[in-house]
Amino acid sequence: MTLQTTSPLRRKRRPTTGLLFLAPFGLLFIFVFIIPILYSAYISLFQNKLIGGQSFVGLDNYVRLFKDPQFYDGAIRVVVFTAIQVPIMLLCAILLALAVDSLRLHGTRFFRIVVFLPYAVPAIVSTLMWGFMLGIRYGLIGNLNDALGTRFDPFAPETTMASIGIMVTWGFTGYNMLIFYAALRAIPRELYEAAAIDGATEMQVVRNIKLPALRGSLTVTVIFSIIGTFQLFNEPNILSSLVSNSGITSYYTPNLYAYTLAFTGSQQGYAAALALVMAAFTIVIAYIVQIRGMKNAFDK
Amino acid sequence: MRKTRIAAVATALTAVIALAGCSGSADEAPTAGAIPTDEPITLTVWSWDGTVEAAVPGFEKKYPNITVDVVNAGSSTDEYTALDNAIQAGSGVPDIAMFEYFVLPFFAIPGKLTDLSVYGADELGKDYVEAAWGEVNIDGAPYALPSDYGPAAMFYNQKVLAEAGVEEPPATWDEFYEAAKKVRALGGDHYITNDSADIFLLLSLIWESGGRPFQVEGTDVKIDFTDEGTARAVEYWQRMLDEDLINTKITGWSDDWNRGLNDGTLATQLIGGWFTSTLPERAPDAAGDFRIAELPQWEEGERSGAENGGSAMAIPADAPNKDAAYAFLEYFTHGEGLQARIDEGAFVPTLSFLEDEAFLASTNEFFGDQAYNEVLASASKNVGTGWQYPPFFSWARSSYEDLSAPLYNSGEGTLAELLETWRERMTEYGNEQGFAVS
Repeated sequence: MTLQTTSPLRRKRRPTTGLLFLAPFGLLFIFVFIIPILYSAYISLFQNKLIGGQSFVGLDNYVRLFKDPQFYDGAIRVVVFTAIQVPIMLLCAILLALAVDSLRLHGTRFFRIVVFLPYAVPAIVSTLMWGFMLGIRYGLIGNLNDALGTRFDPFAPETTMASIGIMVTWGFTGYNMLIFYAALRAIPRELYEAAAIDGATEMQVVRNIKLPALRGSLTVTVIFSIIGTFQLFNEPNILSSLVSNSGITSYYTPNLYAYTLAFTGSQQGYAAALALVMAAFTIVIAYIVQIRGMKNAFDK
Repeated sequence: MRKTRIAAVATALTAVIALAGCSGSADEAPTAGAIPTDEPITLTVWSWDGTVEAAVPGFEKKYPNITVDVVNAGSSTDEYTALDNAIQAGSGVPDIAMFEYFVLPFFAIPGKLTDLSVYGADELGKDYVEAAWGEVNIDGAPYALPSDYGPAAMFYNQKVLAEAGVEEPPATWDEFYEAAKKVRALGGDHYITNDSADIFLLLSLIWESGGRPFQVEGTDVKIDFTDEGTARAVEYWQRMLDEDLINTKITGWSDDWNRGLNDGTLATQLIGGWFTSTLPERAPDAAGDFRIAELPQWEEGERSGAENGGSAMAIPADAPNKDAAYAFLEYFTHGEGLQARIDEGAFVPTLSFLEDEAFLASTNEFFGDQAYNEVLASASKNVGTGWQYPPFFSWARSSYEDLSAPLYNSGEGTLAELLETWRERMTEYGNEQGFAVS
C-alpha cells in the first residue's frame, strides 16, 4: 500500500495495461456472475402473486425462509450428506491416486481413464443407470434379493440418500483422483531418491513425502466437493419420477426446493432468497475450509 | 416472430394499422374475422400433440399468406414454464398454446389468456360434450377450445382376470373390490392395479362419484373434501389400500409399470382413454389380452363418468396475431382441419366426432379387435359436469405428492387426513397468492 502511494509511476501504469488484461475476464465476470447475483438479490425483495402481481416486501422472504421447516429439512439433509459422502469419496480418490502413482500397477493409463470415465457420464444418464441397477423389482438388487431371499430396498425413504451417495461417489472419485495424481506427479524426483538413499520404506515415503504434498489439493477438492454436494439436484429430481416411494419430496434438497418454488409455485422472489442464503452458507463453509487448509499448510 | 412483423410493416402500409390493431396490448378488444390477406403472417403454435401438424397444409392452402409453425416447446409443465417465462419477459409468446384442462384456470384467471367469446366461440359450445365444454369455460367465458379428451376408462387384462376367476369386467366398484381380492389370490406380485399417490386417479374416482371438491368463482376458491361423493370415493379407496389390494410400489410411467403391464401382474388401469395410444408399446407381450370398459359404477345401473387427462388450445393474451390465431384454432379443433387430425388418431370431444360411424367401428388387434371407441365415446358423454380445478393446481399437485409420501410409503394416516392436510396447504398457498380460499 505505502509503496504504491509513494510511487506515482507505478500508479499511473497500473490502470492502463493492467485493466486491459483484466478486461476480458472482468467483463465476463460482471455479466455472468455479479449481475445475476445482484438481480437475484433484487427480486428476492419482491413477492410474485398470481393475483395482484409483483409487490415489494422487503426482507419478508428471508424472514419466512428462516421459519420454513421445509427449507431446514433440505438444508440439514445436504449438510449430513456432505459430511458423510465427501470424506468417503476423497479417501477413495487419494487411495486410487497413490495406487496409480506407485508405479506398481500394470496398465495405469487404462486404469486412470476407467476411473475418470464416470465423470464424463452426464448425471442424468448415470442416475438412470444406477436407478435401474439398484431398483428392487427388476434390477441388480432385485435379482440379489430374489437369490438371497432378502427384501433390501435401496430406494426406501431411509436408504435413498445412501444410494444417491453411491452415485455421486461413483461419478466424482475419478475427477478428484486426477487432481491428487497431478499433485503427486509434481513432487520432485530428488525427494524419492533421497528417501531411497536413506533406506525409507514405501509406507514411509507415502507418509512423509506423498501425503504432505497432497494437502494443497485436498483443500481444493474439499471445497469443490462441498460446493457440488450442496447443489445436489439432478439425482433426486430424476429419481423422484423413476422410483416410487423413495421419500424424495419437492423440497428434498435446497436446490430442488428452489426449483419447485420458482417453477411450480411461481414464487420466484422466495426462491431467489433461498438460493442466496444457500450461496452465502456455502461460501462461509468453503471459506472456513480454505482458511483451515492454508493454516495447516503454513504450520508445517 | 418480431422480425416477420417488421417485414410485414415494411411491405404493406395500409395493412399496418390492422396488424397493429391485432398485435397491440391485451386490453384492446380484437375484432373477429378481420384477418389481413395481403401480407405474410407467421403463426407460432406450441403443441406437444403431434396431430396438429396434420391440419397445417389445408389451412395454409386456405390462407396463402399465413404460415403456421408448429413447435413442440416441451410437454405439460415444461411448456407452461416456458410460456409463463415468455409472458413475464414480454417476448416470444406463441399465438396458440396447448394446455391440459387443469391448468387453464392458472392462466385464464390472472388474465393471461384471450377470452374467445369475442370471436363467437360461445356458439361452438353445443357441438361439444358438456363436461369438456365446461372445462374450457372459466367464469362463464370460453378461454380455450377442447382439442383432445381423456374420459376415464378401465383397461383390463382379460386373460389375467379370467385366470383369477373373473369372467366379466367389474361393472361396479363392489365387483372391482371382489375382483381385486381374486387377482391378489393369484399370488406373487399380482395386483388389480397400482397407485403411488396418483392424484388424477383419486380425483377421477371422486369425480365419478359426484364429489366436486373445488368450487371456483373468479378469485374465490372453495375447497371441501367432505361432501358425500368425495367421502364415498375416499372411503372406498382407503379400503383398497388397507387390504393391500393396490400395488403402491409401482409408479405410473416408470419401467416397473411397463413391466407390470407387460407381464400381467397389473391386471387393470383406471386411466384416460388416451392410454390406447401408448399401451401397445408398453405391453407388447400382452397383445390381444387387453380390453376397455367404462369405469365401474358406484351404484349398479348408473351412468356416470369422469375425465382423466386431455387438453385444449388457447390464445395467450399477449399473442401477436390473434385474429389469424383464432382462425387456425377454430380450423384444427372444430372446423375443416379436424378430420385430418382425426385421421392421425386425435380423440376430440365434439359430438359429431363421437357419433362418427367410421370412428366407432374402428378396431385394433392389440385390443382383440374390440370396437373400443364405442366404449370411449360413451364414457365421454357420461363424464359428470360441473367439475372445476383450482387455479393453482400445478402447485397443489406437487404438494400432494410431498404430503402423500407417509401414507403410501408406510401406511401412516388415512386418505381423508391426507386430503385435509392438503386442503390446509392449498388454503395457505392460495391466500398467499392473492386468491380468497376457504
